[in-house]
Amino acid sequence: MNPARFLPALLMAWPVLASLALANPKVRARAAHLLVVVGVVATVLAIWVAVPGAAGRTGDEWGLADLVRVDATARLFLVVINPIFFGVSVYVWNRVQTTPELDAGLPRTVGLASLFLTAANVALLANHLMILWLALEATSLLAAPLIVRAGVPSSRRASWRFLLFSAVALSLVLLGFHCLARGMPGAPTFFIDELSELAPRVEHTWRKVGLALILLGLGTKLGLAPMFSWLPEAYDEAPPSVTALLAAVQFNCALVALFRVVQVFRPGNEALFAGMLLSMGVLSMVVSTVSIIATRNMKRLIAYASMNHAGVIAIGMGLSKGASFGLLLYVISNAFIKAILFLTAGKIKAHYRTKDTRRISSLIRDLPYSGVFLMVGTFALLGFPPFGSFVGELLILSALVSSGQLLVFGAFCLLITMTFVATGRTIFPMIWGAPQAQHTWPRQTFVSAAPKMTFLVALLVLGIYIPPVVSEMIQQVASSLEAP
Amino acid sequence: MSPLLIALLGVMLVPLFVATWRTSLLGLACQGLLLAWLAYDVLMFKPLAGLEVWMFKTLARLETMPDLATASQAGAWLTLFDLAVIRGLVAPAALYAVLRARAQPSRDDVLPPNLLTWTLALGIVLVAFTVSESLVAAAGQQQTLVFVAVAGLLLGFLVLSTQSSPLSQMIGLLRIENAIALFELGGEPEPALGIQLAQVAVVVATIALFRWYLKSVSSASGISAAEAVADGAGAGDALVEGPTL
Repeated sequence: MNPARFLPALLMAWPVLASLALANPKVRARAAHLLVVVGVVATVLAIWVAVPGAAGRTGDEWGLADLVRVDATARLFLVVINPIFFGVSVYVWNRVQTTPELDAGLPRTVGLASLFLTAANVALLANHLMILWLALEATSLLAAPLIVRAGVPSSRRASWRFLLFSAVALSLVLLGFHCLARGMPGAPTFFIDELSELAPRVEHTWRKVGLALILLGLGTKLGLAPMFSWLPEAYDEAPPSVTALLAAVQFNCALVALFRVVQVFRPGNEALFAGMLLSMGVLSMVVSTVSIIATRNMKRLIAYASMNHAGVIAIGMGLSKGASFGLLLYVISNAFIKAILFLTAGKIKAHYRTKDTRRISSLIRDLPYSGVFLMVGTFALLGFPPFGSFVGELLILSALVSSGQLLVFGAFCLLITMTFVATGRTIFPMIWGAPQAQHTWPRQTFVSAAPKMTFLVALLVLGIYIPPVVSEMIQQVASSLEAP
Repeated sequence: MSPLLIALLGVMLVPLFVATWRTSLLGLACQGLLLAWLAYDVLMFKPLAGLEVWMFKTLARLETMPDLATASQAGAWLTLFDLAVIRGLVAPAALYAVLRARAQPSRDDVLPPNLLTWTLALGIVLVAFTVSESLVAAAGQQQTLVFVAVAGLLLGFLVLSTQSSPLSQMIGLLRIENAIALFELGGEPEPALGIQLAQVAVVVATIALFRWYLKSVSSASGISAAEAVADGAGAGDALVEGPTL
């Protein structure tokens, strides 16, 4: 028996075991170390699982009745979210080392974050729509308490709104699944691989209603208009490490859920997918662009930029042909960009004690690492070469033209230009502006910069040279997303 | 139309027009218990007259397969437990305990008390009827079930969209979840027992979080204080803060 077939189960179970270890007082005292260990082991396991030899349905050996599936989509996103979690864990460890008062309440955070990682990995590996839904629910329920910061009442309000919107969104998704089941000929199934073979290619009223509800629900989880208002508030109020988890890990889990639905149900429902995703995407870009122009809050600005990116992703998914490879490049780049920017924002806020962009300046001198990361992250955010986001955006734009969506293309170009000007106007003075005060902070250590440095390398790799293994995975996922 | 479904529609509608939180919670309890009664009729081989549902047909088929039938029986009991105990008793009781402990004033408008929202609520019932007619062509119990589920869902959304207090929003959300539970009763066969257990666990965890949030509203550092800060400073811009992770 190939032991590699047990790896997915180990990957899912490992963070749970680690969180159980927190019951031991000795382990609790080293909670930050444990989080790093969780991250590094999960990353190694994820990379191992992503190796093609470990692919295939693996639930049988564990009595999971085919509930687990390691396909290209799962493999690709496993090697995105687990390293990001690892990077966040190093960031948290470093924060606790430099700010010992943060140690209080850390075991709770580590326990919840570890379980969050399990739920995220389950969402990626699930071969059953209900398991996928349950895993998404679990990520939301576990993330909600993480958003709350002791002594900051507004964070509790943001946490409540996050939970409320998540619950509504996932209720819509659940209802959508039940509508889909009613629209299936014969005995309904929720197994994704069976659905791929059984899903009929003709339109059906229940199926259309179901898909519309699912798109609306998952769109809400992704922070797409019209139900987006939770996102800027939650991303702003949560601790930066949690924001990075929400923006780079949970976002991708919800996106994978959307991918699963698109992979199965796009044939026969192209018009519905195109109509809903393109309109939600453009609307999200409009709302986020206006908000980027108006805000003076560093974290909110990045949050609105994330909304903007979600809009671009929705537009890319709305196109049934030609955009998928670019879309995936954009999605993966986006995950690393958001992790870099939110962690950098956390570092900047920890030093300046403010998120007000008008009160932060001369970053490149005061905090050289953070200044560079903010600068490079912003360039990647705005879709500059040589980053993967540039290539991705270019391919999506090209697909918009080739599919005849010229109106969307025009709106896209206009909004992206406005975003570029508004973001640059706010961010660049923070980096190069004249110093407002003399700061004498200790020099940033290499360890504090290492996670962001790694993410940056990944971004560059995606833009300059994609390794064949990764390229093959992206190709496979891209072809599964396109209309036949 | 089934008297049970009519009664369910009644307990979905009436608490909207009675502005006390006790009525709202009582309404939720009644919804849970009526859903359990409906589920009992469906799951325990006593279908309501003319109610042709997937679940019943599937369970009838499973009678010839002892293992599956046993698992399905356990699933049926779990569904009943979820609806009667968790949604009908635990959820309202958990919220009631918090509200009573902090001597919450009895008045609590689930809907803003004006003609517009009342008309909207009644209009939603009519819309739900039209939707159910378009989704289920043949008039009958299945159409009624879809009608009541859609009405419950839309009324839940009406509550959510017109209220900003966490309590009303929680009630709105629980209404939506009950409407989905009703929809599930008339739909496809039950999922595996493990998945059902996980679903119940999610409902329990959600209620526990609701309770936690509701408690924090009454504390000095609760949401009300946060709203005051946000309203004063604009869009949650309490920009100067202490250290965080």
